[in-house]
Amino acid sequence: MTQKFISSVPIILLLSLTTVCLFGQQFPGKPKITRCRSLEKDTFSCWWKPGPDGGLPTNYTLFYSKDSEETVYECPDYRTSGPNSCYFDKTYTNHRTTYNITVMATNEFGSNSSDPQYVDVTCIVQPDSPVDLSLEMTTSAGVTDLWAKWSPPPLAENSSNWHVYHYELRFKPEEEEKWETVSVGVQTQYKVMNLNAGLKYGVQVRCMLDCGEWSGWSPERQIQIPSGQSPPEKPTIIKCRSPEKETFTCWWKPGSDGGHPTNYTLLYSKEGEEQIYECPDYRTAGPNSCYFDKKHTSFWTIYNITVKATNKMGSNTSDPHYVDVTYIVQPDAPVNVTLELKKPINRKPYLVLTWFPPPLADVRSGWLTLEYELRLKPEEGEEWETIFVGQQTQYKMFSLNPGKKYIVQIHCKPDHHGSWSEWSSEKYIQIPSDYRVKDMIVWIIVGVLSSLICLIMSWTMVLKGYRMIAFILPPVPGPKIKGIDTHLLETGKSEELLSALGCHGFPPTSDCEELLIEYLEVEDSEDQQLQQSHPSKNTRLASKETDSDSGRGSCDSPSLLPEKGRESRTLPSKLPSQDVREVHENNAGSGWETQCVASSEDRALPFNIAGTKSSTWPAANIHPSTFAYHSTVDAPKITLSTTNVNVAAVLVGNEEKHQSQYSTSETLCEENLEKQRAVEKMHSKNDQSTIQVNQNRLSEKSSFLNAKLMDYVEVHKIRQDEDAAVLLKHKENSGKIEKYTIPGTSKEYTKVSTVVDHNILVLMPDSRGQHTPVSQEPAKEMSQNLQQGQVEKNLSYCLPAPSECQREAGGSEYMDPSSFMPSFK
Amino acid sequence: RARGRPQERGSPAGAAALWLLWLVSRAAARAACPPGDTGCRLLSVSDLFDRVIRHSGRIHAELEKHFPPRGNELGRPARKCHTSRMATPKGKELAQNLPREELTHLILKLLQAWKEPLSHFNQHIEHHQELSDDSLSKAKQISNMVHELKTGVEKVTEKMQSMGIISNSLNGMASSEAAGLSISNEANLMSDSDFIHCFRRDSNKVQSYLKILKCRIMPENSC
Repeated sequence: MTQKFISSVPIILLLSLTTVCLFGQQFPGKPKITRCRSLEKDTFSCWWKPGPDGGLPTNYTLFYSKDSEETVYECPDYRTSGPNSCYFDKTYTNHRTTYNITVMATNEFGSNSSDPQYVDVTCIVQPDSPVDLSLEMTTSAGVTDLWAKWSPPPLAENSSNWHVYHYELRFKPEEEEKWETVSVGVQTQYKVMNLNAGLKYGVQVRCMLDCGEWSGWSPERQIQIPSGQSPPEKPTIIKCRSPEKETFTCWWKPGSDGGHPTNYTLLYSKEGEEQIYECPDYRTAGPNSCYFDKKHTSFWTIYNITVKATNKMGSNTSDPHYVDVTYIVQPDAPVNVTLELKKPINRKPYLVLTWFPPPLADVRSGWLTLEYELRLKPEEGEEWETIFVGQQTQYKMFSLNPGKKYIVQIHCKPDHHGSWSEWSSEKYIQIPSDYRVKDMIVWIIVGVLSSLICLIMSWTMVLKGYRMIAFILPPVPGPKIKGIDTHLLETGKSEELLSALGCHGFPPTSDCEELLIEYLEVEDSEDQQLQQSHPSKNTRLASKETDSDSGRGSCDSPSLLPEKGRESRTLPSKLPSQDVREVHENNAGSGWETQCVASSEDRALPFNIAGTKSSTWPAANIHPSTFAYHSTVDAPKITLSTTNVNVAAVLVGNEEKHQSQYSTSETLCEENLEKQRAVEKMHSKNDQSTIQVNQNRLSEKSSFLNAKLMDYVEVHKIRQDEDAAVLLKHKENSGKIEKYTIPGTSKEYTKVSTVVDHNILVLMPDSRGQHTPVSQEPAKEMSQNLQQGQVEKNLSYCLPAPSECQREAGGSEYMDPSSFMPSFK
Repeated sequence: RARGRPQERGSPAGAAALWLLWLVSRAAARAACPPGDTGCRLLSVSDLFDRVIRHSGRIHAELEKHFPPRGNELGRPARKCHTSRMATPKGKELAQNLPREELTHLILKLLQAWKEPLSHFNQHIEHHQELSDDSLSKAKQISNMVHELKTGVEKVTEKMQSMGIISNSLNGMASSEAAGLSISNEANLMSDSDFIHCFRRDSNKVQSYLKILKCRIMPENSC
């Protein structure tokens, strides 16, 4: 590999050598000195043109020798005059010496020299062009001569001014091609003669030093040689103006004067007159104008005005200008424009502008009436807002943006004819920024905050979804059974369902306390019948009830409970001492009387339930008893409100009396009970049914109810003034809800299977407890009795509503379902 | 104290009555302008003047709006207004130096001189090919306005004469009416544009003279 490389090197060398030899570029080509030049004889430079460089970097060296010496020098300065040049400064420049200059190009193969150039510094000088050429015409004795003057070219500093330049001048008419050249000599001016009048000539000059070269031509100067034979051009009347409607002035623009002094004459004639007048006053209004004073100014007269320009060659007259002074009135701008910012208390600041008519205008005579227009804009604004003011000399502006600087200008115009004056000088006013800026900031903050709140609200709404909606719009509670597997319910396996609820076996015990009942209002179909049979009375009852609050709500509401408790506390103290009727009257209007006596007609069931619970599971009757107390509290009110015996109340009262023996409820409730008893006793009209019921109840104590079937009852929570409804859910069609008529059917829903949603009580028929017909009959009888006894308004029971007694007792809020087991024995 | 009450009540009542009397007398003075009250007199004349000046201004505005001067109007040769023979002051000082009566007379004369030509102009609409129908209806309107203006100036003149501001010697009125008739024939021969030009000029004259007259008589009143 290395051998191969080594062997290839000589070949490459050989090849390259032959190539170089072949093309003959081994040495650099011959350079050529192109020129040597001196600007001012003190220094000079030489430039050369390099020959072909042979493809290699080449150095150029300039050698020179002087004719008086043998020594050969090298160029002192290769740089100053640019590449491929040599600059000889003052010290190297000798006058009257011939330089022998050669340039040698050198590269690594060899060198090549240019032909020698012999240079006489004096004769290589090429100065710059002369400057400041000016042309001037002089006319003497009708002959026009042209004088050309110029200055020598400017020299570099330090150079002495001893040079003598020779000048040459050339000129030609503009339209011709051929220059006429004149040798001027050493003067810097020249008089060109015999120029053709009416032609435009161009002139140039150049200069030279001794035997040097001519400079370039100077820039051309042109001059119009006046013809000298023509009259002046036509002048033009520019305009006429009357500043005060009393005098007027006309101005004209002169045309070319034809090279001769020209006189201008204004001539005018008035309408209806043949005579031609000359301008009365050329001076007052300045050059090229004519001023007509009051004496010479007539209104409602048309002036025909012409201007005549005259020189010795002739004259020329302008086009006529017709003027009715009425139409050319243009007043001066209004003066003394003042801007004042007024700040009245409790009102927005406003701007008052005042001004005065132009001093020339005599508005007081009535001869001239001025109308004004003002314009304003914010300092940085683009467009002016223009307001026509009319003849008044002040204006108030109200709607200005605070915090801005305004520019105001005013101009004026005669009322009918004439034109607007110039705008008055600009006046500035700074409108102070008022509180509104602060106000705006406040509003912005409020806006931002509120939008933020809205954003958060909507965000939470999205996040929480249904919960928020439910919070704002609570759902109408539907009948629901808590803890029930709906699937099981659908399949109808009630046993499994029950076992799932953990309430298996009978008798149900209080260990099913987790089944919470808060309220239970029961209604059966018979209630409806009763309602139908006594619609008027029901309505009467409804009308009597002043409590618009829902029974449930009032029972439920924690805030109301203490109140009720208080009332129930106070009531008993009254009751025993007072007459029953009075009590009734006192309580007739009380709002809470009906809270737990929602169904006035529903007698049988509640009684039954009450009886059952009290008799069957006395131990577990603590809470139910409180319900009962509650109802007894309520009951007498209704009862007493009727003239008849409140059987139910008494009955319940009795019941409660019994229950109280087992109850641990607080004395308050017992007081109620006592009160109830008192009421009961005081009532001489005790119906026999009461006794009967009592007896029934007593007999029921020892008996159980065995429901034949397991069905479900939903007790709908109902408003206090509505009827409680116990809804039967047949397992055959679980979706269907029937009103269950307790007395009429053989099914007894004695067992609370569960409580749903705190307000739905699920009852189930007790399969073990035997439902004897005996138990039904008295109930029926009782209900009939009650009906007969016209105690329909008597709300005979209050079953589930959580009474204040219950709450106050501090007892469990759970209800033993067994307490609702009806027993009809 | 009980005695003092009627007195107390009496004095304000009396004052009120006096005040009322003063008010009524003032109002009466204002309405009737008794001969001694020059200020009152001048005020009403000034109002009348303002009214006629405003009216003449309206005529002028209508003219400018519907018969604007044409660009070459001034340069037209050989125009002669029929009123140009009337010697009217052609400058502020001339007008100011003219006696009030003469100036008033002049105004009336000018208006009178246009009465017949204007009605003639409107009666021979078919001759005015230069003008559009709209312009002709305007011409009629303007003609009516001129008539109203003349009535108004006559009212002011009467008022001034009655108040002694100008003398009653409006001599030569009848003769000028005769002259007006003769020159109105001249006017009827004018071209439409000349007619309008001349009328514009004279209406401007009338307004200027009215203003001068007003400011001479009542220099303090918005002059």
